[in-house]
Amino acid sequence: MDDLLAARSTMGFSLGFHIIFASIGMTMPFFMSAAHFLYLKKKNPEHLELTQMWMKGVAILFAVGAVSGTVLSFELGLLWPGFMKYAGPIIGMPFSWEGTAFFLEAIAIGLFLYGWKRMKPWVHWSTGLVVGLSGFASGIFVVAANSWMNAPAGFDWVNGEALNINPVQAMFNKAWLHQSLHMQLAALQAVGFAVGGIHAFLYLKGKARALHLSAIKIAMSFGAVAAILQPFAGHFAAQRVAELQPAKLAAMEGHFKTSTQAPLYLGGIPDVNAQEMKYGIELPGLLSFLAFNDFAAEVKGLDQFPKELWPPLVITHISFQIMVAIGTLLAFVGVLFFVFIRKNNFPSWFLKFLVACIPLGFIAIEAGWIVTEVGRQPWIIYGIMKTSEAVTPVPGMKYHFYLFLFLYLFLGFITVWLLRRQILAAQRKFET
Amino acid sequence: MIEILLFFIGASLLLYVLLGGADYGAGVLELLPTRRHREAQRELINEAMGPVWEANHMWLILIVVILFMGFPSVFTTLMTSLHLPMVALLLGIVVRGCAFTFRHYDAIKGETSQKIYTMLFGVSSLWTAMWLGIIAASLDRGLINPEARTFFEAYIAPWWGRYPFLMGVFVVCIFSFLASVYLIGEAKEPGLQKFFARRGMVLNYLVVFAGALVFSASADERTPLHREFFRNEYSVGCMVLATLLFFALWFFVSKRNTLWVRLIAGGQISLILLGWYFLHAPNALLTRQGPLSFYAAAAPTATLLQLVIALLVGSLFIFPSLFYLLKVFKTK
Repeated sequence: MDDLLAARSTMGFSLGFHIIFASIGMTMPFFMSAAHFLYLKKKNPEHLELTQMWMKGVAILFAVGAVSGTVLSFELGLLWPGFMKYAGPIIGMPFSWEGTAFFLEAIAIGLFLYGWKRMKPWVHWSTGLVVGLSGFASGIFVVAANSWMNAPAGFDWVNGEALNINPVQAMFNKAWLHQSLHMQLAALQAVGFAVGGIHAFLYLKGKARALHLSAIKIAMSFGAVAAILQPFAGHFAAQRVAELQPAKLAAMEGHFKTSTQAPLYLGGIPDVNAQEMKYGIELPGLLSFLAFNDFAAEVKGLDQFPKELWPPLVITHISFQIMVAIGTLLAFVGVLFFVFIRKNNFPSWFLKFLVACIPLGFIAIEAGWIVTEVGRQPWIIYGIMKTSEAVTPVPGMKYHFYLFLFLYLFLGFITVWLLRRQILAAQRKFET
Repeated sequence: MIEILLFFIGASLLLYVLLGGADYGAGVLELLPTRRHREAQRELINEAMGPVWEANHMWLILIVVILFMGFPSVFTTLMTSLHLPMVALLLGIVVRGCAFTFRHYDAIKGETSQKIYTMLFGVSSLWTAMWLGIIAASLDRGLINPEARTFFEAYIAPWWGRYPFLMGVFVVCIFSFLASVYLIGEAKEPGLQKFFARRGMVLNYLVVFAGALVFSASADERTPLHREFFRNEYSVGCMVLATLLFFALWFFVSKRNTLWVRLIAGGQISLILLGWYFLHAPNALLTRQGPLSFYAAAAPTATLLQLVIALLVGSLFIFPSLFYLLKVFKTK
C-alpha cells in the first residue's frame, strides 16, 4: 500500500466511522426530547423510562462520536497538510462555528445527563433539546466545509496561491445547501429507522409492549418524514451535481458518451475498457430529465474528460445505486408507516420488516459519502488541487492506517457490545 | 486582531490545563495504590468529572480550530514534524474518553469489565498527559526541521530526548496535583478530604522537583527556557510568585479552606504557564531554520476577522452556559 492510498483509506474509514456516531449524536436527542416532552405533559411513566433508556444510548454514542471527531480534526493536518495549508484560512469559518456549536452541545449534554432533579423539569428538558439543536447545527457546518471541496468558492487561485480570500463566500458555496439538506435528512432517516427497528424487535419479543410501541411511533415519525422528503432532496442534489461536477454525475450514472436523451441505468456495472454499461436496465431519456428537467437535454459524458481525471467508476456507480435503492425502499416504508399509524395498528409482518430495515439507512449514508468523496477523485479541491498534492510527506503511512483501523474496529466492537448490554439490561428490568 | 487570537489560544490552553488537566490527573490518581480509599475515590471522580469532562475537552478542539484557520503553517508544521507524538496523543484521547464513559454507562456493572475500564482510563490519562508535555517541550527546542532529509531528523529528533521526556513527567505531576486539590473540595467525607490534601501536598513537592529537572535538562540543550529565562523579568517574576504561593497553599490546606486552596493551586499553575508564555511568545515554534512567529504564520485579514467574530459571538453563548453548568453542579 503506498502512502497516498494509506492516507486516503485512513481518512475514509475515520469519516465512515464518525458519520454513524455523528448522525446518531445529532438526531437521537430529538427523539429523546420528544419522549421527555410527552412524559412532562402526560406524566406517563413509560415515557420517562424511554427517555432514560435513550439517554444512556446517547451518552455512549456521543462519547465515541466526540473522540472520533477529535481524531478527524487532527487528521486534517496529519494526513493532508498540503490541503490544510491553503484550505484552513478559506474554509476555517464553518469549522469555527462548528466548534462553537459542539462546545454548546458538550455543555448541554453534561447538564442533561446529570441534571435530573437538579434543575426545574422544563429547564432540564430544554437542555436536552439544546443538545439536539446544537448537534444539528454542527452537522450543517461540517457538511458546508466539505461541500467547498466539491464547489470551491471564495478565493482566487493564482499561480498556486489562494488570494482574495472571502470566508463567507467559501462557506455559502454552491454545494452547501443541497449537501447539508441531503445529509441531515439522511441522518434523521437512518437513525429513525434503526431505533424504530430495534424497538420493533423488542416489541415482537413481547415485553413492555406499550413502551416499545410509543418508541416506534416517536422514532419512526422522524424517520418516515425524512425518508419521504429524501427523494426530493436527492433529486435536487443530483441536479446540482450535474451542474457543478459533471464528471461525478457521469461516474455515478456510468454515462460514458455525451448525449441528448441520456438514459438512466438501473443496476449494471460500468466496463471502463469498453466504455459502456453492462447488464443494466436502460430507461431512455430519464437521466436527461433527472439532471435538467428535460428529456432531450444534453448530459456530459466521461468522454468530455481526460481519462486521468475520471473518478473510480465502479465504486462510484455501485455506491450510488445502493443509496438510491435503499432510499426508494425506505420512502415506501415511510408511507406505509403513516398508513398503519392512521389505522393505529401495526401488523406484525410490518414490524418484522422494520427489524430488517435497521442497518439500511446507515448503509445508504456510507454509500452516499462514497459517492461524494470517491466521486470527487482525483481532486481534493475540485478542479484546483489533486489529492496526491495534499498528502503528508511522512513515510510509512500504512502503519498509521493499521493502527487506526485496529483502534476503530475495536471501538466499534465494544460499542455494539455495550448497546447489546443496555438492551439486555432493559429487557431484564421488564421481566419482574 | 492577531493579539485577540493569541489571547484566545493562551486562554484556551490555560483553561485546558486547569480544567482538562484536573480530569487527566484524576485518571492518574486512580493508578496510585490506595487500598483504603479506592472505591470512594472512583465514585467521587465519576461524580465530579461526569458532567464537565466533555466541556473540558473542548478547549483542545478550540486551539486546533484557531490554529488551522488562523495560523495554517503552524498547524501543518506541527502535524507533519510532530506526526508521531500527535498520533500517540490522539490514541490516548480516544481510549480515555471511551473508557471513562463506558465505565459510567455500561448497563451491567461487571467487576472485571469495570476493572478494565478503570485500568484503561488510568493508563491512557498518564500516557496522554506525558505526550502533551513532550509536544509542549518540542515547540521550543529548535529541532523541528521541515527541510530534513532523513526520517530520524524529520520525525523523531524534534521530540526525542531527556528534556521533552522530563517535561512530560512535569505535566503529569501538574495534572495530578490539580486533580488532588480539586478533589479535596469535592469530597464530602473528612477522611477522604484529608487523604486528597496529603496527596496534594506531596504532588506539589513533586511539581517543584520535576520542574527543577526540566530546567536542568533545558540547560543541557540550551533551549530558550534556560537561555532566556533569567533575562526575562516577567518569567522570573511568575516563577517567584508561584513559589511564594507554596506557603499560602500550606496555610490554607491546614485550615481546610477548600476555596482558597483551589484558587491558589490554580494560580500557581497559571503562573507557571504564564512564565512560559512570556518566554515563548510571539513565537509559535522554533525550527532549525529559525523561529516561526504567529505574526509570520497568520492567515489573511479577512479570515482572521471571521475567526475573531466566531470566537467573540461563540463566547457570548459558551461562557454563560459554562457558568450555568458549574452553578448547577458545583454549588451545594
